[in-house]
Amino acid sequence: MATAIIMPRQGQSVESCIITAWKKNVGDSVNVGDVLFSYETDKAAFDEEAKVAGTLLARFFEEGDDVPCLTNVCVVGNAGESYAEFAPSAGENAEAAAPAPSEAESAAPAAEAIEATGAVGDGMKISPRAKAMAASSGADLSKAVPTGPDGRVIARDVQRLLDEGLRVSPAAQGAYAGGATGTGMGGMVTLNDLSAKAPEAAPAAAAAPESDTYTEPMPNIRKVIARAMLGSLTSMAQLTHNASFDCTEIQKLRKLFKEKGAERGMEKITLNDIILYAVSRTLANPDFRALNANLLSGDQMKYYRHVNLGVAVDTDRGLMVPTIFKADTLSLKEISQTAKKLASECKAGTINPDLLRDGSFTVTNLGSLGIESFTPVINPPQTGILGVNTIVNRVREVNGQLALYPAMTLSLTYDHRALDGAPASRFLHALCQNLENITLLLAE
Amino acid sequence: MPKSLFIDPAVVRAPGKLSFDDIPMNTYQKTVKDELGNFTRQQFLDIYRDMFLLREFETMINLIKTTGEYNGVAYNHPGPAHLSMGQEASAVGQAFHLTVDDYTFGSHRSHGEILAKGLSSIEKLGDDALMDIMKNFLNGETLRVVETGEHDSVKELAIEFLLYGAMAEIFARKTGFNRGLGGSMHTFFTPFGIYPNNAIVGGSAGIAAGAALFKRVNRKGGIVVANIGDGSLGCGPVLEALNFASMGQFDKLWEEGFKGGLPVLFNIFNNQYGMGGQTNGETMGYDVLARLGVGFAVNQMHAERVDGYNPLAVIEAVGRKKDLLLKGQGPVLLDVVTYRYAGHSPSDASSYRTQEEMAAWKAVDPLVTYRAQLVEAGVATEAECDAIVEHVKGLIFKSFKRAIDDSVSPRMDLHAEPDAIANMMFSNGHVEKFSDAQPDVLMPMNENPRVQAIAKKERYYMKDGKPVSKNRVYQLRDGIFEAIIDRFYKDPTLVAYGEENRDWGGAFAVYRGLTEALPYHRLFNAPISEAAIVGTAVGYAMAGGRALVELMYCDFLGRAGDEVFNQMSKWQAMSADIIKMPVVLRVSVGSKYGAQHSQDWTALTAHIPGLKVVFPATPYDAKGLMASALAGTDPVVFFESQRIYDIGEMFHEGGVPEGYYEIEIGKPDIKKPGKDITILTFGAVLYRALDAAKMLEEKYGMSAEVIDARSLVPFDYSLVLESVKKTGRLVVVTDACERGSYANEVASNVTQMAFDDLDAPPVVVGARNWITPAHELEEAFFPQPSWILDAIDAKIVPLKGWERTTNQTLVHKLDCEAKGV
Repeated sequence: MATAIIMPRQGQSVESCIITAWKKNVGDSVNVGDVLFSYETDKAAFDEEAKVAGTLLARFFEEGDDVPCLTNVCVVGNAGESYAEFAPSAGENAEAAAPAPSEAESAAPAAEAIEATGAVGDGMKISPRAKAMAASSGADLSKAVPTGPDGRVIARDVQRLLDEGLRVSPAAQGAYAGGATGTGMGGMVTLNDLSAKAPEAAPAAAAAPESDTYTEPMPNIRKVIARAMLGSLTSMAQLTHNASFDCTEIQKLRKLFKEKGAERGMEKITLNDIILYAVSRTLANPDFRALNANLLSGDQMKYYRHVNLGVAVDTDRGLMVPTIFKADTLSLKEISQTAKKLASECKAGTINPDLLRDGSFTVTNLGSLGIESFTPVINPPQTGILGVNTIVNRVREVNGQLALYPAMTLSLTYDHRALDGAPASRFLHALCQNLENITLLLAE
Repeated sequence: MPKSLFIDPAVVRAPGKLSFDDIPMNTYQKTVKDELGNFTRQQFLDIYRDMFLLREFETMINLIKTTGEYNGVAYNHPGPAHLSMGQEASAVGQAFHLTVDDYTFGSHRSHGEILAKGLSSIEKLGDDALMDIMKNFLNGETLRVVETGEHDSVKELAIEFLLYGAMAEIFARKTGFNRGLGGSMHTFFTPFGIYPNNAIVGGSAGIAAGAALFKRVNRKGGIVVANIGDGSLGCGPVLEALNFASMGQFDKLWEEGFKGGLPVLFNIFNNQYGMGGQTNGETMGYDVLARLGVGFAVNQMHAERVDGYNPLAVIEAVGRKKDLLLKGQGPVLLDVVTYRYAGHSPSDASSYRTQEEMAAWKAVDPLVTYRAQLVEAGVATEAECDAIVEHVKGLIFKSFKRAIDDSVSPRMDLHAEPDAIANMMFSNGHVEKFSDAQPDVLMPMNENPRVQAIAKKERYYMKDGKPVSKNRVYQLRDGIFEAIIDRFYKDPTLVAYGEENRDWGGAFAVYRGLTEALPYHRLFNAPISEAAIVGTAVGYAMAGGRALVELMYCDFLGRAGDEVFNQMSKWQAMSADIIKMPVVLRVSVGSKYGAQHSQDWTALTAHIPGLKVVFPATPYDAKGLMASALAGTDPVVFFESQRIYDIGEMFHEGGVPEGYYEIEIGKPDIKKPGKDITILTFGAVLYRALDAAKMLEEKYGMSAEVIDARSLVPFDYSLVLESVKKTGRLVVVTDACERGSYANEVASNVTQMAFDDLDAPPVVVGARNWITPAHELEEAFFPQPSWILDAIDAKIVPLKGWERTTNQTLVHKLDCEAKGV
């Protein structure tokens, strides 16, 4: 019976071999050990020796053909025997077909908007490239939708802002905490936009029924306050002195305004206004200039020739501190009117941002809330802040007898880097003296 | 596996008995008196002078190390001082018959040998030749220091030159023999045939054998001497060198004119101790060191024990052995018994030996006994000997004062010239051939069967829009072959060897066809001795030739650790570029064969200063980079991946050029341009990165720029930085285990160089920090295209809808790091 000779497999990774030379022609007699053909892989050359004797009946490949391993190459048998059944089928033929190029599938990467970061600052995850792009282009990062890993703002997010025209003017960049709707050219956020009412905070996520807590993003103004307060407490040497004074005089004055000041437009002057007035006059004393000043980062003090008095205002959105410029030049009535106007603008959200800065000292009043003493936090880069507390009745000895008198505590926080405890105490003492003798002060 | 050597079982299995010739021991017992008439009076006196000069030179070093002064002049030498006091007769005796054509290689304890060989060379060279050498060395800087003042003769000036050059080198002065970059353990002076000493114990054995190979292959005269110590005979690389030099093929297979064991004398200064370990009976079992020769060669390496305390005995023995070596009957092993008086180093208190033993040796100190023989034989009087002593002391003191004088012997000013050493790390030369001789080849190149077979191949991977089958396509291995055979026909000094390099054609068929083209002495099978393979290549290059050697698997690099990390890499800079190192080390990176045959250790070689490291991944690059490596003068570690030896050229338009071309080492190449992300690859992982790039393009419309690093050292970052500036994103991919990989190095550098351009940290995708598992499990170990997408999705830019195949979380990473995997 005829025997097919296969192309041997020379190693696991060899798929085919090239026939380099035929050593026998069809019809030649073949002895065991005769070389039938030579072949090679890409690594080595081999001879195929006959393992059966007979006559070479057929050759299925020519020299130079690349034959898949284990394919029949030729047939040896007795002359006249059939060999057609050994012919390799067409499917087994040489030369691998090229893989069909696969078609491109959908090529739409567009990341879906998740949620704008809403804020600009240290907490934002942003790639160096995105940061550099935003800095040079003024992209409004507060509106960036982070699409990078772990909520990181990456370059394409900034590009999208620019594509959509969401940018911040250079002037507004310093004061901007994010969130404002731009009304400038091309939708740019300008200084004017900063005073506009910030959009309502996103409604609180519905708390899961079984949960006792819920989480919601902080409004932007809270973030600004948070940063300012933390920055204040972590960057200054703050401490607080408390002292009280006898309010009899100022209460009398307040009563006078209330009862008889209407025709002069003075009926709304409050105790707080009187304190503001006293502070403005006391601070104007050059002895206390260290409290009417800013401590600059470069180890320098910036002194004010007038008193720009900051007044803390509680608003729905949080604490705001508008400034009464040159308060030391204003009358008590003018101070009162200015303070009221600024407070109402803050509450309405219409305050001009220019009036929210350049204060030289701040007064904050928690007296109406019954606070007797507290530790106000300085508004940087100022060097002091005065906390105004509620009035309580105290006793003191008068001619051997205990007598009640109304007393108010003032809490002065100051930056020990700017001044020492003694001058701070002297200021507080002078202020108390001025308030106890308010009529004399008003006469000056 | 030469077919001409029939291994007959009838012979191999036949009973019988192996016998050895006797090993001579201290057969020479003569004194000066016995040799009168065989030496001139001056020769007898010079032997004494030279021994005393060696002794005083080291006495000076010993005194400044132990007392901080010499002859009342203070000096602080913080560097090493391995002294050979006691071994002078051995060194001087050996040098007597050696000429400048005989090369010596030494050890960490070789001050004496370089001085002895130097004095011998000065004695043998003519005045003109000496002046030429001194004037041309380091632009005459060393000579200028010593030529001031009166000199009786040129030889006297040359002796001062030798003493000063060596001393200045030991004291790290710019005027020293190697600009102070070699120091005590590496002082040498090639114009006198004094080749590098070596601070690695036994390091010179393989190097010396390689220099001997150079002499044999290039028909150079002279012999090579490896001066190593008895302690080094416990070092594997030394035993490898003894075997390499004794290979049977030198006698049985090499052509007429090249036959015989290598002309190398393994001269063992047997001072009885390897540091504190006593070799005679404690750390070795040979009892008599000369016994070792029997194990390496039929000629027993002509092993013999010689009395190293009698200079005349050493002279006699070296003279005989040199004759044997020049007749092609090497190699030779000499057991020169001697003794060192000092400890291993100044910190060695010699607590391991007795005062009695030291006293016994000092009682037979050659400086005493030989001098007594001189007087007894009437060659010199005591007064004449004293005069020699005084003269030598004067010379040493004069040289000492010069060598420590900052005004004439400054150190390198690395503040003024901060790049002075950096500029010596590579010689960056381009040398077509290191000899003008006709290259020995067996046939015209165009008749070579491999060359003819390649001529029929398709040099681009596609033809008529279809991929060409593997057997018809011009493969990466063909590219390497073409560059190599080209250089073989240009540079007659080029030799190639390694395991299975000849008949087999290399384990990966790169050398198929070279056997037909080259005689044995240019292409041969080395024993499975990686240390000897690389070590001899280093010596071959030092001696003036170009060597191409091979490690069959990268995993065997550890077997040649010292040779690659300390020898091949260091000698150019340590010699102040006096020595060139044109060695190309092919290293094949495996896969499929498990944990000890699949590792990519490119980072190890890239870490070592002084090596150029390349890793091509395409036929075009492989040919061009190999051509560059083989035309250069620097050591190049040439990595090849077994995954892609059969790959066709997919990138270079028109396919791989038939003619000669070079690709500059150090330039990465863009294999696929893109704009959205950069993928940098090292080696064969290029193709998986291209697959990943295709997935990114098709599924995410993200266009990846794929850059093939091609080289690791040097590396021009500009192309990568330019790409990152464009894309802002970088993935670095390597088949090396991720921890400590070169990919991490590049990622770290790019982070620093392009921080503001980055949209995410550069991310490295490497192999697991595990053993390489079996081939069937390799997909879990080596980077896959999907891993690249995983990394991008997790760390660079989320890919919508991509389902990660690997754990990319920080928690997992921290856990792995904590576990050390």
